[in-house]
Amino acid sequence: MATKKLFGISQRRAFKRLLTNNRERLYRMAYAWTGNPHLADDLVQQTLLKALRSQKQLRDFAAAEGWLFRILANCLTDYRRAKREFQSADDLEIIDKVTPEHQFNDEQLVRRVRRAVQKLPINHRQVITLVDLEEFSYASVAQILDIPVGTVMSRLCRGRRALREFLLEMRPQESSRPATHIQRIK
Amino acid sequence: MRKDDKISEEQLNAFLDGELESEERSCLFNEAELSDDLDQRLCQQRKLKELVQHAYRDVPDPKRHLTGRRTRTGLVGLAMAASLLLVIGVSAGMFIRGYLEPAQGTGGNISANNPHAVAAMENYILHVVSGEPEQMRLALQKAEELLSAAGTGNPRQVEVVANEQGLNLLRSDVTPFSNEISALASDKVIFYACSKAIQRLEEKGVDVQLVPEAIPGYTALDRVVIRMKDGWQYIKI
Repeated sequence: MATKKLFGISQRRAFKRLLTNNRERLYRMAYAWTGNPHLADDLVQQTLLKALRSQKQLRDFAAAEGWLFRILANCLTDYRRAKREFQSADDLEIIDKVTPEHQFNDEQLVRRVRRAVQKLPINHRQVITLVDLEEFSYASVAQILDIPVGTVMSRLCRGRRALREFLLEMRPQESSRPATHIQRIK
Repeated sequence: MRKDDKISEEQLNAFLDGELESEERSCLFNEAELSDDLDQRLCQQRKLKELVQHAYRDVPDPKRHLTGRRTRTGLVGLAMAASLLLVIGVSAGMFIRGYLEPAQGTGGNISANNPHAVAAMENYILHVVSGEPEQMRLALQKAEELLSAAGTGNPRQVEVVANEQGLNLLRSDVTPFSNEISALASDKVIFYACSKAIQRLEEKGVDVQLVPEAIPGYTALDRVVIRMKDGWQYIKI
């Protein structure tokens, strides 16, 4: 069978480029969902591997990005079904101490927002981050997570409301928070 | 009831997320002009959205964390650093060899028992996940079979990457196949021990000793993805 061409580039090459171009975006999303860089990296690798294996299923390159994020969401679902625990939000404190954020003045703010996001139920967390970080439309998020658009809207609404409350709760506690934490390495 | 109370939170979100039609947007803009409360609600929602975006603008690099943990493992860390140099050397060699060779065939996922697999003049990555001696033996036999099927005139690259229980294949104090591994390595088969699998064992207090032919430094999935992107054939055992 003749190789399909997309704008003069072979489909295979275009697919490789798709994976390369989206790896960082997938990782950022996986990190926002899990709060754990190692787990996020694992999920992205699984996503890329699954995408490679099932690339023939991708018929429409215009929908490719949503397709990749859907695979990522499925990988996370599989992971959670395997009953492995997420790290607690407190563990993130330790991990973040060695990140580039440390050198910025707004380190505290970034950490507080991440902790608040991690406190959200995963369903709300996924919707908020897909909309806010990747700016997917509600319809695309519905496709990625395989839920109705109305559910996207209600989860977004409840999630943002909860996020706002968490951030308010955390604000006064931040200054009196002790600097040291115990690290738990899984 | 105040006028802006009629604007639901869903509508505000839809407005901020660009989900409203132009006419609806104009309407809401006008409402916000007339109501300080609505204007404030909009600002709060927008601030929340921007906070989330800001919080994940720069995310931690997982590879850096991995390196940090390795440095705390003392001699193991030194051994890994030395092995990384070996990886660089091997990779450079493979790059040069790959550059000189003709283009490879398409990548794909094939069965270990597929009789057509050995007929194709392509490179292979074997992924060993099982700690069962029979499965390990099958992996080594497959590597040998693939090499011999290529013949002397058609150089073929074969890599074996082991993770999960399959790491036992490359653990010097566990594997029953150290001689076979050594023989295959001399035939240019490259063995990779998954860095993540090693790390997990070390975190459980296991002192991981690898056979001299095994190269750590990559995660198994990373290695598989790299090779599949290179067009190599993938066989999971």
